Parts: sequence; C-alpha cells; structure tokens
Amino acid sequence: MIDQSSNNQPQALKPPEALMRAIAHDLKPVRPSPQPLHLALRMVPLALLVSSVILLAIGPRQDSGILGPLLTWGASAAQFVLAIALVWIAAHEGIPAGRLPRQMVYSAAVAAFLVVVSITLLTFSTSPGTAALRVPPQINELLRVSPWIMGFGCGIGSTLAGGILVLFFSGVFRNSLATQPTVAGALYGAGAGLAINAGWRIACPFSTPWHALGAHGAAIIATAILGALIGRFLGNRRFHI
Amino acid sequence: MVRYQGGSLEAFQEIYAQLAAAVRRYLSHLAGGSEIADDLLQETFLQMHRSRAAYNPAYAVRPWVFGLARNVFLMNRRAARRWAKIHESREDLPEFPVLPEADRLGSQDEIRRCIAHLAPDQVEALLLHHEWGFSFEEIAGMLGISAAAARARASRGMADLRVALNSLQRARA
Repeated sequence: MIDQSSNNQPQALKPPEALMRAIAHDLKPVRPSPQPLHLALRMVPLALLVSSVILLAIGPRQDSGILGPLLTWGASAAQFVLAIALVWIAAHEGIPAGRLPRQMVYSAAVAAFLVVVSITLLTFSTSPGTAALRVPPQINELLRVSPWIMGFGCGIGSTLAGGILVLFFSGVFRNSLATQPTVAGALYGAGAGLAINAGWRIACPFSTPWHALGAHGAAIIATAILGALIGRFLGNRRFHI
Repeated sequence: MVRYQGGSLEAFQEIYAQLAAAVRRYLSHLAGGSEIADDLLQETFLQMHRSRAAYNPAYAVRPWVFGLARNVFLMNRRAARRWAKIHESREDLPEFPVLPEADRLGSQDEIRRCIAHLAPDQVEALLLHHEWGFSFEEIAGMLGISAAAARARASRGMADLRVALNSLQRARA
C-alpha cells in the first residue's frame, strides 16, 4: 500500500503548537452527551407540559364521548410517541458516527404526515360537527359565524407553543454535529409541532379537515421550518460558514 | 476519550498521535489535495475539542472522529463553494491511497487513474472499508446509509475497479 500524501508524514503526528495552545486554554472537564434515546426521553416532560397547557386552559373537546378514548387520547398518544421518535432521529443525525439510513429519516417524515392526515379524517368521519368550546356563549357564537377566527387562533397559538418547544430543543441540540443541520433542525422542529398538536387536537372542537390540516397542519410545518432555520444557523455558526 | 473529556491534555495528545495521520489521509482523499487537508485536519481536531461533550462513550472513537472529519470537510466545502473546483481536480488526482487488495491488479498509477473515475460514493465506501478498516456498520453510521448499502457500494466499487483495470490493461496490450 502506497500513499503519496503520507510519504512525508511520520506515522504518529504531533499536534501543532497553535492547536495545542487552543486545547490547553480550555480543558475543563465535560460531561459526556447522553445517548440519542436518553436525550429524546429527556424532552418528554417539557413537551408534555407545553402540549397540555391548552388542555388545562380550556379542557378537552365536548364531543370526546362520541370520539371515544382511543380516538381522543390514543391518537394523541400515538402522535406524541411519533414526535419523540423524530427527536430521537434528530439526535442520531447530530452524531458523526451514529447517523441513521436516509430511508429511515424519510420514512419518519412520511409517517408523521400520514398519521396527522389519518387522525384528521378519522376524527372528522366519527364526529363531523363542531362542538362548543368551554368559553362564554358570545365567543362560541362568534366562532360559529366566523370559523376562520378559530383557524387563526389554533394556527398561531400552536405555532407559538411549538416555537417555545423548538427553542428548548435547539438549546439541547446546540452542540449537535449534524452533517445536515437543516435536516436535523427540521426533524426536531417537526417533533415539537407534532407534540403540541397532540395536546391541541384534544382541546380544539373543530373537526373539519380544512381546519385541522390548514391551521394545525400549518403550525406543524411552521415549527419544522423554524427548527430547520435554527439548526442551519447553529450549524453555520459552529463551522464558521 | 473519556480521560480527555475529564480534562487530560495527554489524552488529547494520544488521540491525535493515533488518529491524525489516518484522518489526514481521509481528508486528503475527500478534498482531493493535501494542501487543504492540513487545514481541515486542524479544524477537525479543534471541532473535536469544542464538541468533546457531544461524544458518548457508547460509540467507538475512531469512526466518531472520521465522521467529524467528513462533517468538517462538507461544511468547509459548503462554505467555500469549491465543490466544482475540487471535482475538476479529481481528473489528475494523486491523492487516492492504493488499496492492498488492488495492488496486484495493476500499477499504482493505473489504480489511481481507475479509482478517480469510479463513482465518488463507491470510492468513499471502498476506501473506508479496505483502506481504513471500518466495518460496514461503522461506515453506515458515518455516511447515513444502511450497512447493506455500505457493503453494496464497496463491493460495486471494487468490481468496477477490477473491470476498469482489466480494460485498461487490455487496451495497453
């Protein structure tokens, strides 16, 4: 085996002075990063808390009896698990030697899309009507006449809640060494959006697909884009781009 | 690496001594030139230092550092937008290591010429496995592909290299 590039190089190189100075300048002990699964599981309590705020504020939708526990709580639990799975994949993306196959990343994104659409359609087919919110009757009347207000409320509200989670996730992922930081950011952003929607959909009384996909779906996309932008910014800053 | 995470300068020096030469050759292969490889090597170890907390002892150090080197190269390429230039320079590329398995198939110059014309993803998998001795699972983790895909890339690369060498030798005869 001949390697021209290494002809002039000794087998065991010594670090250059400048590098040694930089290393010696900051040698404080650090705690090793947790494994991707542990990192993802650490996010669960805060994600649960932020996604339940809306439930604690206005309570579950009034037609939850018609939907049944499986479609009310079970579907949201499935969405939440998928959200944590996305965060787990994002954590893998941040490890130079621990990346998962591309197919798995794409499959998770497709699965997230299919789960949201399926749950929306199942919910609409089971309870197509619009139940009243647990708010004063005048507000319910206003929402009945102008449902777009509720669309804006859900879209902006869940985007804001998702934004809080994305910022928290970004703090945890600030040391990520992802080759594609935009993809990693989009993954944990989508995870944050899905986690928020898991709680929000139980509180929101609107079942129509245009509302669920237009407002709630748009919020998931918005948090994924926010995550992608933050991921890209952090990656560029780390590598001085 | 755990000692290094604990703040030992000697541990860093040991890691550097064990890995720097191989990582430099890998970067040299990726960048298609040895001038930039030295800068990328220092950047890799600087990034390793800044990110030492991101290392988990469950992962082997060598693929982690190689993966980080690849990361540094890709980010550098993105920043410098030199990809086209690097690609052009592959035409007269002198930096590919000659595989031990291929050594008997032709002269070093022939092998380098043929490797330079293989698909870049095949060459990378081929060299990571045959030249640097990574397992297909480790290569999969570094490249973001499945272990089966890593194996397929390496074996297709080796098969294409054999074909290219045979046709080159036939043409000369």
